[in-house]
Amino acid sequence: MNSNKLKAKDFITVGIFTAILIVVEFLCGMLGYIHPYIVASYVIMIPLVGAIPMMLFYTKVEKFGMITIMSVLIAILMFVLGMGYLGAPLIVCAGVVADLIAKSGKYKSFKKTIISYGVFCLWICANYFPVIVTADSYRKDLLDGGYSAEYCDDLFRAINEKTIAVLLILCFVFGCIGAVIGKKVVKKHFEKAGIV
Amino acid sequence: MHVALDPRTKLYMILVVSMVVLMTATTPFLWGVRIFMTLVPITLLFIEKKYASAIRFLIFYGVALVLTFFFLSEESSGIITAILIGYCGIVVQFMPSMITAWYCVRTTKIDEFMSAMQKLHIPNGIAISLAVVMRFFPTIKEEYGSIRDAMKMRGITFGSGNVLKMVEYRMIPLLFSCVNIGDELSAAAITRGLDGNVKRTSVVELKLHAADILLMLVFTAVLGVFVYCKYFR
Amino acid sequence: MENQESIIKIDHVSFKYKGSTEGLLSDVSLSFTKGETVLLCGASGCGKTTILRLINGLIPHYYSGDLTGNVIVAENNIRETELYKLAGVVGTVFQNPRSQFFSVDTDGEIVFGPENIGLSPKEIVKRKNLAVSEMKIEKLLNRSLFELSGGEKQKIACASVSALLPGIILLDEPSSNLDWNAISDLRDSIRRWKEEGKTIIISEHRLWYVKDLIDRVLYLSDGAVKKEWRGEEFRTLSESEVAELKLRPISLEEKYIDAFTDEKGQITSKQMPAREKPKRNGNLTQASDIGEKVILSEFCFSYDKKHSGRRLRKCIQNGITGECDGLQLCIPNLILPAGKVVGVIGRNGTGKSTFLRCVCGLEKRCPGKIEVDGKQYAGKERLKITYMVMQDVNHQLFTDSVKAEVMLSMEEDDEKRCDEILDRLGLLPFKDKHPMALSGGQKQRVAIASAMAAGAKILLFDEPTSGLDYAHMKQVGDMLKKLAKSGSTILVSTHDPELLALCCDEVIHIESGKLVG
Repeated sequence: MNSNKLKAKDFITVGIFTAILIVVEFLCGMLGYIHPYIVASYVIMIPLVGAIPMMLFYTKVEKFGMITIMSVLIAILMFVLGMGYLGAPLIVCAGVVADLIAKSGKYKSFKKTIISYGVFCLWICANYFPVIVTADSYRKDLLDGGYSAEYCDDLFRAINEKTIAVLLILCFVFGCIGAVIGKKVVKKHFEKAGIV
Repeated sequence: MHVALDPRTKLYMILVVSMVVLMTATTPFLWGVRIFMTLVPITLLFIEKKYASAIRFLIFYGVALVLTFFFLSEESSGIITAILIGYCGIVVQFMPSMITAWYCVRTTKIDEFMSAMQKLHIPNGIAISLAVVMRFFPTIKEEYGSIRDAMKMRGITFGSGNVLKMVEYRMIPLLFSCVNIGDELSAAAITRGLDGNVKRTSVVELKLHAADILLMLVFTAVLGVFVYCKYFR
Repeated sequence: MENQESIIKIDHVSFKYKGSTEGLLSDVSLSFTKGETVLLCGASGCGKTTILRLINGLIPHYYSGDLTGNVIVAENNIRETELYKLAGVVGTVFQNPRSQFFSVDTDGEIVFGPENIGLSPKEIVKRKNLAVSEMKIEKLLNRSLFELSGGEKQKIACASVSALLPGIILLDEPSSNLDWNAISDLRDSIRRWKEEGKTIIISEHRLWYVKDLIDRVLYLSDGAVKKEWRGEEFRTLSESEVAELKLRPISLEEKYIDAFTDEKGQITSKQMPAREKPKRNGNLTQASDIGEKVILSEFCFSYDKKHSGRRLRKCIQNGITGECDGLQLCIPNLILPAGKVVGVIGRNGTGKSTFLRCVCGLEKRCPGKIEVDGKQYAGKERLKITYMVMQDVNHQLFTDSVKAEVMLSMEEDDEKRCDEILDRLGLLPFKDKHPMALSGGQKQRVAIASAMAAGAKILLFDEPTSGLDYAHMKQVGDMLKKLAKSGSTILVSTHDPELLALCCDEVIHIESGKLVG
């Protein structure tokens, strides 16, 4: 029974945690339209809040593929939810790399888990892709679409080719911080309760 | 009247709509096309007798459109307007794909979805996971409802003003529930043969009907118009 | 035993779950013959479920642990058989109707199994239609599973197992979350399977509904089969013998069901038979001669948001005549004895839960008022003086230790009072444990402790004994009595007649949202 093939149980686990993560993302996303700076702060909120379910998820990962599949699911769902397809390569890449890192620690090493989750969090930046890739036309689109010049300026001040690097780094950093906090929460609750 | 669309048609609709929402309309004609495109899934919702959600979408989208066109402009300022712009922005920009997604999710049975996935040669594992995601959204909603009730009874809805606690009190019971349900769900699914090496069959025979082809043509045309206007004019 | 060929053979099996000492088995040998119906009984944690999991292959393929010995099911050695190959051989109906369905719609759920094992669509449709007509669930087709009641979900689960046409059917405490009517439907399903010659193994605490179906009974304790009866023998066991084994009564419940239902199985307003009435305070207390009272007034509610305001007002006006159709709840006036345990009975979906939700203030639109100790509480204030222990108590535990859970409810931390409360509920030894690491009954008590810390005067319980074995049910009953004695007023919604008999001083009966009887 030690085969490395993923089983139905694993797929179901992936599905459950993806659903939870999407709900987290969606709730945080709702806040984003209040002010562009909140859009930029996704890179802080989502890694931190998402870390709790994700750290629990990592305790259930034992085979290669689960994190990858999760990223594929997220890519598909983001697409279905209208966030476009431009970010998909980034999401899946982040997933595969995160999976490989975690695998190198045999899915047990906590250090590797932190880094792995940090990398995984980069998917959040896929939300910004439409803004960056189509910056000029997107700005025009937004203006035409009724956004105020102020909103656009703020948005582009917060998110552009230069800041995307910063945002990616922030994602990673807060991913790592989130992982440490999330791990604590998992210890405090789930390990203490004997679930994992 | 009953239109049972093929899940593949629905996927195609989502594809087109989500491409189009990224290419914002710049001329009244394009706006027209866009609104038309949004009305299609709303109409389909009406046909499927999902009146409540159809009407809700219609009103939501309509109000946002009116606000955007007649009341808000580049010069508007002030916090409330900013927020309003933000929300109208999201609604006008992304509502079409949200409506389409909603329509597709609400009217596609997991069974149909799985066989569509199979026909599109998507690996079985991804199909299973996606099916679970779809099944779990309502479950999360249910569980979260109970947790919120429990929080109300304890008077900790706002976590005594501590944001961290607010997140913790919601997340922890939810995760415990989801993990439990997941375990039981896996066990129940496995005893009914989910893990098999056998090729899964389906009672749903997927077939493209006239309605499917018509819709695909319409959406291809919408996409064509947008691409043409955007890049070739 | 009869000398027929055995279809299931469990041969010197011992099993221990990884990281747990619950539900282990030690050197169990059993054999089941084709076509027999066997009941597994015993306290929770005795290994009943473990035996079922051995037969359906979840052990060792899903739940890991140390397994020795062999299990042969229909000539398959379970250890070497992949689970999906058993799908058409063994079918399992699980305890929790909420978590065992994979699809979102009923049709998809019934055909889920056959599709997995790759049958031809034609065959699947045939089987589905057969299962549907057998179970008489035509009305449930093409519906969302999330709209169905627990009983209806369980019917779909049965149909979905049926559609795989397994020769062996296992049922793991299938009645836990069901009301009487749903249980009698379940009994019909089992009877039909029995007539079809299937081998059926049922693990169950509630014995009354299966007693006429079973050919053999196995009594488990501490992971071993301690007693065995033939069906006829089991049915003639005396009440005291059964009680000694810490089993739920074999026939007591039926008396209640006869008392509560008419021929059609509908619960009517007949009163409990005199001799089963609660012992102390003998007769149903007349509202007028109670000393301390809790007065509930204007408890009307409708889930329909559009009309509720108008209808609710109308309901209050017509309160006394009770003219309020279309409401899910319409109780204009109700006087309860303070410091007593009041049972709330009625079928599922007739307003019991709505009533509890309104009393504890979760339904804000409900205009109901509660008068306790001469003070009136309405709206949000109701939340402060009441507390409901939910059916799934897991939803209401938030912190990482029992102590923290109690403290969370206190406005100011008071360690002494916290210890006092915990001591009273027998939770002091678990003070620093994680609430989720406790057993179901202990979790319930933690929830009660937090309610007491918050100063709740009225405690509500929603089906506190569903799925509990005799000993735990009795514990709950004793605890409720104790709580009432110490001054809390208890409302307990239940369809567990044994609990009613055990601890309720008074019973109110809700049907279609109205008080009857």
